[in-house]
Amino acid sequence: MRRYLLKRLGAIIITLWMLATIVFMLVNVLPGDVGRRVLGPTAKLEDVRAYNAKLGTDKPLIEQYFRSIKNLFTFDFGDSFQSGGPVMDLILPSLGRSAKLALLAFIITIPISIAAGIFAARRQDKLADRVVVNAGLASSSVPEFVTASVLLAVFAVNWKVGKVYANVPSGTSLFGQLEYLLLPAMAMVISYFGYIARMTRAGVITALHADYTRTATLKGLDSGQVMRKHVLRNALAPTITVISVQIGYLFGGIIGVEKVFNYAGLGTLMLNAVGKKDIPVLQTTVLIVGMIYMVSTLLADLLIAFLNPRVRLDGGS
Amino acid sequence: MSEIDPALNSGNAASSSAAAGANERKLARKETWRLIRRRPSFIIGMTIALIWVVCALFGNLLAPFDPLNFRGDLNSSPTWSHPFGTDKGGRDVLSRVIAGARDVLKIAPIAAILGVIGGVILGMFMGYLRGWFDSVASRIVESFLSLPVVLLGLLAVTTLGNSNVVVIGVVATLFTPVVARTVRSAVLAESELDYVESAKLRGESTPFIMFREILPNVSGPIVVELTVRIGYAVFTVATLSFLGAGPPPPSPDWGSQVSDNYNSIVSGYWWSTFFPAMAIASLVIAVNLIADAVQSVVESS
Amino acid sequence: MSDSPQTSGTVPALAIEDLQLAYTVRGVPRGVLRGVTFHVEPGEAYGLVGESGCGKSTTAYAAMRYMPSNAVIQGGRVLADGQDVTAMSTQELQEFRMTKASMVYQDPVQAMNPALRIGVQVAECFRILGQSKIEAKDSARQALRRVKIADPERVLDRYPHELSGGMLQRVVIAMALAGDPKLLVLDEPTTGLDATVEAEVLDLVRDLRSETHAAILLIAHNLGVIRTMCDRVGVMYAGRVVEEGTVQEVFDNPSHPYTMGLLNSIPRHGVRKTDRSLFTIPGNLPLIGTDLPTCVYVDRCPLADDICRNEVPPIVDRSDGHWTRCHHADKIDQIKPPEHENNDFDIGTDTIVKLAAVSKTFRQRGNDVPALVSIDLGFKEGETLGLVGESGSGKSTLAKTLLGIHEPDQGGSIHLDGRLVKDKATDRRVESIRAFQMVFQNADSALNRMWTVRRILHRSVTKLAGIHGAEADKKVNDLAEAMRLSQRHLEMKPRQLSGGLKQRVAIARAFAGDPRIVVCDEPTSALDVSVQAAILNLLANLQNDERTSYLFITHDIGVVRYLSDRIAVMYLGRIMELGTTDQIFAGPNHPYTEALLSAVPSIDGDARPRIPLTGEIPSPANPPSGCVFHTRCHRVIMGLCDITDPDTIELADGHTSKCHLTAEQLSVPVTFTSATV
Repeated sequence: MRRYLLKRLGAIIITLWMLATIVFMLVNVLPGDVGRRVLGPTAKLEDVRAYNAKLGTDKPLIEQYFRSIKNLFTFDFGDSFQSGGPVMDLILPSLGRSAKLALLAFIITIPISIAAGIFAARRQDKLADRVVVNAGLASSSVPEFVTASVLLAVFAVNWKVGKVYANVPSGTSLFGQLEYLLLPAMAMVISYFGYIARMTRAGVITALHADYTRTATLKGLDSGQVMRKHVLRNALAPTITVISVQIGYLFGGIIGVEKVFNYAGLGTLMLNAVGKKDIPVLQTTVLIVGMIYMVSTLLADLLIAFLNPRVRLDGGS
Repeated sequence: MSEIDPALNSGNAASSSAAAGANERKLARKETWRLIRRRPSFIIGMTIALIWVVCALFGNLLAPFDPLNFRGDLNSSPTWSHPFGTDKGGRDVLSRVIAGARDVLKIAPIAAILGVIGGVILGMFMGYLRGWFDSVASRIVESFLSLPVVLLGLLAVTTLGNSNVVVIGVVATLFTPVVARTVRSAVLAESELDYVESAKLRGESTPFIMFREILPNVSGPIVVELTVRIGYAVFTVATLSFLGAGPPPPSPDWGSQVSDNYNSIVSGYWWSTFFPAMAIASLVIAVNLIADAVQSVVESS
Repeated sequence: MSDSPQTSGTVPALAIEDLQLAYTVRGVPRGVLRGVTFHVEPGEAYGLVGESGCGKSTTAYAAMRYMPSNAVIQGGRVLADGQDVTAMSTQELQEFRMTKASMVYQDPVQAMNPALRIGVQVAECFRILGQSKIEAKDSARQALRRVKIADPERVLDRYPHELSGGMLQRVVIAMALAGDPKLLVLDEPTTGLDATVEAEVLDLVRDLRSETHAAILLIAHNLGVIRTMCDRVGVMYAGRVVEEGTVQEVFDNPSHPYTMGLLNSIPRHGVRKTDRSLFTIPGNLPLIGTDLPTCVYVDRCPLADDICRNEVPPIVDRSDGHWTRCHHADKIDQIKPPEHENNDFDIGTDTIVKLAAVSKTFRQRGNDVPALVSIDLGFKEGETLGLVGESGSGKSTLAKTLLGIHEPDQGGSIHLDGRLVKDKATDRRVESIRAFQMVFQNADSALNRMWTVRRILHRSVTKLAGIHGAEADKKVNDLAEAMRLSQRHLEMKPRQLSGGLKQRVAIARAFAGDPRIVVCDEPTSALDVSVQAAILNLLANLQNDERTSYLFITHDIGVVRYLSDRIAVMYLGRIMELGTTDQIFAGPNHPYTEALLSAVPSIDGDARPRIPLTGEIPSPANPPSGCVFHTRCHRVIMGLCDITDPDTIELADGHTSKCHLTAEQLSVPVTFTSATV
């Protein structure tokens, strides 16, 4: 167990290092002057020089690379262009707000979609199953910002349900915050429902057809006991995996949702950074999102191993 | 017989038996295709997708107004002459929705195809060669997979600049590792099978085993991956474009239309956002329905 | 219907009366059981035999009323202890499965929930009977003791993946006995287990049977298992029982043409390839769902005439309790048993392939795992060397090392015609590549499923025979003809072919060039016995024509005896005994061979005294000291065997054994009482 954890942590560090390298290459992949490329051909020469000096892109490439890797492991990501202060001072509050929104979305999504998946699996190929499967397919294929803008138009503007701007004024009660966050959270719920419900359904169907389920039935257990004690424990592993992946990937979709609802989260911070060409903020956000993904998939693997000891921990599959 | 050049001779024979094999494969493909065509999700998805393809190809003829330069009343609600209304610039929303199909239908399939080609090649080598190459490549793939495509895309387009080529390149590059992972695991399972061992015992070369023996057997997952990737490509391009990192202006891309107009929803002008949003939704759902039909047929055979 | 007369006034534990069952496929019912009738008396063991697709498993599951949702009972009844199983309510059915009837399945590894400890799963059987948690835990411990598990505490604490197949099957049996059932249904309970483990499980079932007096319905394709376990047997074919009687009557005096064909296609009574070819049944099983208002065997029967084509045959009594469903029961003697042919198999005198001190060590997680230890072996031209041993003994590793798929360790060498060959197949010269070929166990895996048969053969011909063009096309056709594959088959893909045809393609491919030695890795173990017979005949004939040597790996002692000229017995990567087939079967044997041979259930009713192999095969990563077999040996001499690794000694001319004991010492019989594991 300890060996497995150490091994996984080692792998995470290597992956992060590669990620940092990829990000570094993205910024430096094209030959020529970074400042000129980012600011455009019409920018003044001194502006370009100042930009390069600020970013450190006037230094030799190899030195820049080592500095960026050092930043990663010392957790010091340098200063933002916009604020002049440390990047992390900008990122942490925004990350907190995004996390709040995401948490609400997952609290709603997980029970609904798992229940729907089980429901569909038990009625495999019947009408109810088809409905869940196709609704899931449709909901997960539509980009979050599309859902968000439709929800905004229909609920917030037309029916006056929920708020147009999701930023919660300070001092709002927990319940009051819900009114602000519900619509953006719903946009995310609709997106993730499909993935999780379909994966749960597939897992349950596999487990229902397994030999051990037959053994349980022929012991004389009723179908409820068979489902609770034998099917679900084995069926949920793929669901847990897909949830953990969604936790990492939600930062792709949340940018659009935050833009539609003008929510001051990580996505909005990134869009501002794009506008201001604030590359340190962008780079750091990317690395932090990568870390979140890695930690959440690690936790998922541990949970799966806990639920199903056959998944051996010493190998690191 | 002895008069004929032996090389030529063997070539003929090979082609004759290859022709028989090709014929057989064509039949099998026909059967799969017939099964796919019969699925309702395929029929619905294909119908919608074809409508958008027609819009992309003949948008100029279909659009009632000039999507870029027409100036009418600002924010006029849907009427007979402007069924989808006009936007805040007074442009006809219907014409812009029709014109918006072009870029996304150009970019998404090309990006998906390039990504799949890259992923297949990388995945084949990872899965068949294994060893240190696979270990190193797996780590790189893993680090790409740890990020949402949209996020990396946003960063890439910011540093590389907006253009269709950049968007295609970025999406294709970001899809390559995803496809590679799928192909790798399919190839890995396939190389465990005894026919691969049998080919080695026959003295076949590594490229022959990889591309003539194994590749046909993983074509199912590859086709599925391609259709699924096209869906994701539409999704990604639309999202990038909404975030301002898609095809450069003045493209009437659906994502940028939503981005331009969503602020007017609050004032009650919902149509200029709603219709392009629905266009995106209908296209991604259509492509995913097709992918779903392909997947269920391929996986059941 | 006048079935077998009830022997006494008791109610049968299971009575299946004219059961007709169909699976609905796309709205169309397809008949699987076409009127199955038999009964099992309390305390009796009844066997159902038949080839795959005959409906024996469907019958077993029908007895438990566990059927897929598309199964429809179209007629007949299933009575358990007088109760109609098909008419039970959900509640009654649960009660029935809890206390009246239980089932043991093939593949115990899959039958246990991987996520729960053994203790939880066994205790659950007692919890549903109303016991408290503590009571159930105690009962679980008792239950494991009952199935002769020596250390129940340890086993209760394990997860299924931590136990061996044999141990898990004991646990499944323990769970099945929890409710003291009156009926125990065993569906291929030992299929997939090693012969030694199989023998232990069967011993256990036999003991439990006399202890519990439960009626047993045993489904098996292995006729030896049925013969040694059952009182009576029913022979099933195409969804109908065609013959029934005591095992002695049916196996020694078969009265249905199908039973005769089945029994004759098995190599039994010590028959060898030099004596005669095996009997084969022509034609194929009728397709599931075919309407058959006839004798089900009509298409393949040598006695068939018009009446067989038009009427379902009646039950014809042969002797007390022995009946057959045949119109021509009186003419059954016209089917002649296969005659002796005295085939000559010409074995050369030169050693063509020679392995000297070949070892193979794998590295696993930083540990050296010796899978082969210093193997010396030679093959004469046209000779078959049989290779036997439990799974994990290194048989396949030896084969793959010979073929160059695995690279042997430094120091070993493989010679072909006196010339050293390269270790890796890919490094070998064309002639060496062509000389070594293989027929795999699983033809589905061995044939590229996207290629047509023609392409598979054509490619092999070009690569292995080095011919091209029209010559190659002709060679493909000749090969196909020699394998009895038609032109139609050549255009098909593997999945369109039956198991037997696929194996023919695989054999054709191996013989596309002019192989000197062909490794056959269990080539018939996935096939039904009547198909197996045809494949074994084909292999024997090819060998006779081409003078090819075989390395024949199998777990089937009858098959290895039929085909082999010499037999090598492997254990933990070492050859323990090597001798001619006659020497091996006459003895004296290495203790391991002795135990292995005694484990085989005989269909001829002449079982050897069982020598149990205690414990499980040790891990090759950590082999026992001294003689690697000493931990399980019944002739072990402590102080010698556990310290000194024995040399290979000659028991007789050409008969060697890796044991401290001499031929005289090995000839002294040993006796045993049953033990726990």
